[in-house]
Amino acid sequence: MIQARGITRTYQTHGSFTGDRTVHALRGVDFTLPDGGAVSFIGESGCGKTTLGKILTGLETFDGGELVVDGVELSKLRPRQREKYFRRIQMIHQDPYSALNPTRTVEATLGDPLRMRAKETGAPVSAWRERAAELLTLVGLEPAAVLPKYPHQLSGGQRQRVVIARALTVDPTVLIADEAVSMIDVSMRLGILSLLRDLRARLGISLVFITHDVATARYVGDGGELHVIYRGEVVERGLTDEVILSPVHPYTQCLLSAVPVMRGLEEPGPDRTAPTAALDERTPTPGCLFQPRCPFAGAQCAETHPVLVPFGADAVGTDAAEANVTGADVTGADVTGADATEESGHVHACFYPESRRVVGVEVGAASA
Amino acid sequence: MSEVEVRDLTVEYQTSVGWLPAVAGASLDLRAGQITGLVGESGSGKSTLALSLLNAVPAPGRIAGGTIEVAGVGDLTRLGGKQLRKARGGAIGYVFQASQNSLNPLKTIGRQLLDLGRSHEVGDLRALIARAKDLANRMGLDGDRVLDSYQHELSGGMRQRVGIVFALVLNAKVLILDEPTTALDMLSQASVLDIVRKVHDENQLSTLIITHDIGAISEIADRLAVMYGGRIVEDGPLLEVLRRPTHPYTKALIGATARITGDVDGARALPGRPPDLTTVARAGCVFRDRCPFAVEVCAQTEPELHSFDSERRRACHVEPSTVLTGTTGTPAAVGEPA
Repeated sequence: MIQARGITRTYQTHGSFTGDRTVHALRGVDFTLPDGGAVSFIGESGCGKTTLGKILTGLETFDGGELVVDGVELSKLRPRQREKYFRRIQMIHQDPYSALNPTRTVEATLGDPLRMRAKETGAPVSAWRERAAELLTLVGLEPAAVLPKYPHQLSGGQRQRVVIARALTVDPTVLIADEAVSMIDVSMRLGILSLLRDLRARLGISLVFITHDVATARYVGDGGELHVIYRGEVVERGLTDEVILSPVHPYTQCLLSAVPVMRGLEEPGPDRTAPTAALDERTPTPGCLFQPRCPFAGAQCAETHPVLVPFGADAVGTDAAEANVTGADVTGADVTGADATEESGHVHACFYPESRRVVGVEVGAASA
Repeated sequence: MSEVEVRDLTVEYQTSVGWLPAVAGASLDLRAGQITGLVGESGSGKSTLALSLLNAVPAPGRIAGGTIEVAGVGDLTRLGGKQLRKARGGAIGYVFQASQNSLNPLKTIGRQLLDLGRSHEVGDLRALIARAKDLANRMGLDGDRVLDSYQHELSGGMRQRVGIVFALVLNAKVLILDEPTTALDMLSQASVLDIVRKVHDENQLSTLIITHDIGAISEIADRLAVMYGGRIVEDGPLLEVLRRPTHPYTKALIGATARITGDVDGARALPGRPPDLTTVARAGCVFRDRCPFAVEVCAQTEPELHSFDSERRRACHVEPSTVLTGTTGTPAAVGEPA
């Protein structure tokens, strides 16, 4: 079980010409990943979703908030003590072409972590070959055929399966899939996605699924929660299907509208929309972060920063927002404090919430 | 009327076991004013086919047979030297795969544009710049700013648009885009596709888009051609092909696309793995190993691409109605998992 509360990450850059710049990669993200559960994060490039994945695997530090793994708050621990917690959280990288060492066979790639793990658990080290075969079978590969091969001898889908097998060598309880299928042929994606779903069901592994392609988030299994992240801030959250079918935040609606419609089989949603401008990080946004690009922005949006509130509730969360927004310095802990009580359900951060139907609608008569 | 007519094109690569065809006897028309989508998995030969439209197949490859008639240029496979250089860029605009990374990092976009003009012996470079700015502005870029920028100052979607500006600035009437949306996020993908459609309509182009994402292409294309193992296995008007796929591969490809609507369990990945140069079947149908409808004749005779329904073509031994109504079940012989 992972609980993140108000994770923030800020980068300071010092360009010779541009001067000092502060980049808010994450502005207070919180989520709960139950054992065996699934959480998806969607957003465009540069929204901070990869930073989040790196923080969860211990590859990146965070400068605010709490990360609790199995009841232990990690930022208070020393690096040595943290290691064993991060061992349980393994990453599946985006690009299976560069995630594997081209000079090592699959056998060598899997062997090292397996022997290391065997020493840790006290299992017989010599059993690693059987374990490697077992893992490859689990991810749907033929061990005898794949073990002696180098990465370049495998197809993209096979490589990604090897990457997943390698992540499984250290018995993780959580897998972080950062754009795990975006570099793979469309025809092979569903195979990888159903493997991830299968791992959840068979091994009880929980999954953090990070992607820009909303459609793939539907395939990671039941009970998945979808977080829509924009410039480091979660703007909408809810059950995956609920958010897709009735998105409330205009940014979610823009993202979902951008999903291509399979013409002939689907018709465009009636309320399809698009952002009014491209992302410009340099424009100050004291109010809603999405306001400069929002097709539905109102007067309030430019001034007040909205926070997550349940959809359908009367209160729009302005009081909380005003209390929390003190100048431009919105710390994650404050913002998320308001909705910490809201454990589940469909929440959004918009002053003018309106559910719109933007995704394609299946044409009744046609069937694939 | 066709702007580009490809007939029986065969492109071979030299390997340790001899010359092997990456594209085998492909025939394809790019019709004037239409966007043709060419879909296929990695290794299906789609990029090789596209590169041969510039007669630019890299060594150790060669065009071994067939013709490529381009309106106003002639048979491209017979051109060489200066004539070929003029046709590349002049008659055919090409946006390369990962064109985000195909710009020179040491020169501003404007200087690269001037290089392009000089190498094509454009007399009026001012007019060239004006046209580039105009194109950029119409694609939602700030023309002046873009020409003054280095590539690292532009986002992925912006670089893709710069690629389109470069492809069209010499008034090419044929536009070829190789995987234009790969590596772009959803919002940039949607806007790039939007822009391609707009530029296509405004300039009355004949456009070919090469992609592995049948979902993205379905949004904007007029015609769809499906490629597998170096062969075109089905083509026709896009809506027709998507609604009534008659080749088992087309049907499986549509079924394997992650979709935002519909039944999650209904979609399934293609079994097996796509063939490459060395593993593609020498005799019989190239898709039979992964085909749920394969019958005996598929192993012996290669099906020919034949016309039916006036506008459509398919290369399959099985009846269209069987493919259309049959379930995508377990294939006859499942190869290694992907």
